[in-house]
Amino acid sequence: MFGSDVLDVAVGLIFVYLLVSVLCSAIREGLEAWLKTRAAYLEHGIRELLHANDGNRSDAKGLVEQIYKHPLINGLFSGNYETARGKRPRLFSKGGDLPSYIPSKNFAMALMDLAARGPVDCAAAGPATPVISLDSIRSNVKNIPSPDVQRVLLTALDSAQGSLDRAQQNIEAWYDSGMDRVSGWYKRSTQWIIFMIGLIVAVGMNVNTLVIVDYLYVNDAARAAIVARAEKASANPTLPNQSFEQTKKELNELQLPIGWEGSNGSTNGPRWGKSSGTVWVTAVFGWLLTAFAASMGAPFWFDLLNKVMVIRSTVKPHEKSPEESSEDRQKKTVEGTGGTSPSITVQTTAPGAGTTTTPSIAGTPEDENLDGCDVSVEDVTSDEQLPAAEGGVQS
Amino acid sequence: MTFKLTWLPKVLKDARQKVALVDGWEDRGRGDVGPIFGVICHHTSGPVTGNMPSLATLIKGRPDLRGPLAQLGLGRDGTWYVIAAGRCNHAGKGIWQGVATGNTNFIGIEAENTGLANDPWPDVQVDAYQRGVAAILTHIGRGADFCAGHREYALPSGRKPDPSFEMTLFRQSVAAILSGTAAPPELIPAVEAPVGNASGRPTLRRGATGELVKTIQKKLGVEVIGTFGSKTEAAVRQFQRDHQMVADGIVGPKTWAALDTA
Repeated sequence: MFGSDVLDVAVGLIFVYLLVSVLCSAIREGLEAWLKTRAAYLEHGIRELLHANDGNRSDAKGLVEQIYKHPLINGLFSGNYETARGKRPRLFSKGGDLPSYIPSKNFAMALMDLAARGPVDCAAAGPATPVISLDSIRSNVKNIPSPDVQRVLLTALDSAQGSLDRAQQNIEAWYDSGMDRVSGWYKRSTQWIIFMIGLIVAVGMNVNTLVIVDYLYVNDAARAAIVARAEKASANPTLPNQSFEQTKKELNELQLPIGWEGSNGSTNGPRWGKSSGTVWVTAVFGWLLTAFAASMGAPFWFDLLNKVMVIRSTVKPHEKSPEESSEDRQKKTVEGTGGTSPSITVQTTAPGAGTTTTPSIAGTPEDENLDGCDVSVEDVTSDEQLPAAEGGVQS
Repeated sequence: MTFKLTWLPKVLKDARQKVALVDGWEDRGRGDVGPIFGVICHHTSGPVTGNMPSLATLIKGRPDLRGPLAQLGLGRDGTWYVIAAGRCNHAGKGIWQGVATGNTNFIGIEAENTGLANDPWPDVQVDAYQRGVAAILTHIGRGADFCAGHREYALPSGRKPDPSFEMTLFRQSVAAILSGTAAPPELIPAVEAPVGNASGRPTLRRGATGELVKTIQKKLGVEVIGTFGSKTEAAVRQFQRDHQMVADGIVGPKTWAALDTA
C-alpha cells in the first residue's frame, strides 16, 4: 500500500513540479534575454575584483573602463561601456549591451596587455610597442592605475617562476574566484525571480500542490497515467531545456485539476473544507508550495525524478503482490494486462479503443468525455422484450 | 473475455433486489473499467410507458454514441437490469470527489424516468435505487459521499439535468441503509396467507408452469399454454398497472386478490 501509492503520488508531484520549473525557467530565460541582468552582475563583479567600488577610487574606475574598452573584451559585445554605474545591481537591473560572460583568458590577457603597454587609446600599436613578458609587465606595472591590482599582478608574476603562461594562469585563477561570486549573486537573484515567476504561474494557472496531491491520491487512474508519463519523461535528458509552448502543452495534457475552469477555486478542491475562507487559505498555501518548488529549478526536479524512479522500480508492488485486490480483479490483472499495474487504463492508450472484445484497451480521452443521458430512445423496449428477473420474493 | 464488474448481480441479489441479466452482459463494455470509486445516478429521459423502455438504447447506444450507456438500468418496478460488466459511456466530462474520469471509475445507473412532471418516481423504484446504490458502495468500501448525481458530476455545471430527484436526501437515505438504521427491504411473500384449511396460492412469476398459470392466463385473456412466459408477464404488468399496483409482472398475494375480483 505505502510503497506504491505514496511513491506514485510523489512521482506525479515531482513531475508536475518539473514541468512547472521548466516553464518558469523558460520565462526566466526570456526575461533575462531582455534585461541581461547577468551582464550587470558581471560588470559589478569585475569592479569588485578591481577594487573599484571602495568609495572614491577613480583610478580603479578608470581601470574597469580600460578593461571593457580593451579590444579583447570590447569585441564580446556591441555598443560602448558607460561609466555611470555605481551601486550593486538589483533583481531586475538592466545589463544593457554589456557581455554576460567574459572568458578568463580574455580578461587575463587584456589585463597583462594593459600592464605591459598601457591603455589602448594612448599607446598606438606598432612595431615599437613592447613585447609582453614578465619583465615588461613588471617594469610597466604603473600603467595599471590601481595599486591593489598592481599588487595582484606582481604577486601573480612572482609566483609564476619565470613562466609567462603560469603568470597568466594565476591571473585567470584570480579572475575565476571573482566570477564564482558573480555566479553566486546571479543564482540567488534567479532563485528569487523564479520564485516570483513560479508564484505568478501557480496562481495564474492555478497549480495548487495540495489539490494535486489530493487528486492523485484519490484517483488511481490519473495517478497511473501521470506515472506512465513521468517514466517516459525521465528517460529524456533534454526535458529541463524544453521550450515554453511544449511544456505548457504537456502540463495541460496531464488532465490534472489545474486551471481556473471552476472559477471559484473550490471546484478543483472539493474536499478542502466548506467555507470559502479555508479554501482560500489552502489555495494560497498550495500556490506558495508550488512556487517554492519551482524556485528549486528544473535540473533539481529532473534529478529527483530519476532517483525516485529508481526507487520505484525496485518497489513496484502491484506486479508482485496483488494481495489487496478482490478476487475477480486479480484474475483480470493476470489475464488482461499481463501482470502490470491494473489501473493503467486511461489516457495513455491510443485511440480506436472500444471494441467489446478487447478489455485491456480502455478509454481514450475522447471516449472519457462521452455520456448518453440525453439519448432519445428510438428503439423502445416493450415489456415483452425484457429479460427475466430473479429475486425480490421471499424464499 | 469478461470484464471486472461481474460482481454486480450477486451484490444486488444479496441486497434482496430483483435482478435481471441482459444477455451478454459479462462481455459488454467499452473496454474494461478501472478501479471503482463510486456510482453516478442518472435517469433515462425515456418514454413514459413500459417498465424499462430505454433498455435497448442503453445496450446499443445510438448512431452517434456507442453503447453500453450504463452498467445498470433500473426499471420502474425496481428491477435491476444488468447491462454491462465493462466500461460504459455514461458520465462524460466532469468531476466528483476529485475523480474526473467518470466513465472509467464510476458505475453508471440509468433509472427509467422521463425526468418530467408527468412521471413521478414510484416508491418501489426509489427504494430499490437507494438499496442498490448502498449495496454497491458497501462492496467497494465507500461511503454515501461517493454516490453522485450526474448533474452534480457533470462539467461545466448545468450541462446535465439528471437525476430529477434531490441528491442530498437520496444520499441521506443511502447513508441510513449503509449504517443499518433503515428498515429491511419489503419482499413479496412466497405464498398467500392461508384461508381456512386451504393453503394459499404460491407467488408465480416468469418461468412458472402449471394449472395456476393457466388460471392467470384465462383471466388475462392471453393464450392458455400453462407456461408463464414473457407475454404472460407483460399482460400481468399491464393488469397491475391498470389496478394501480406495482407493475413487476409477479403474481403475489395482492395480484392474486386483484385477479380474483377482476
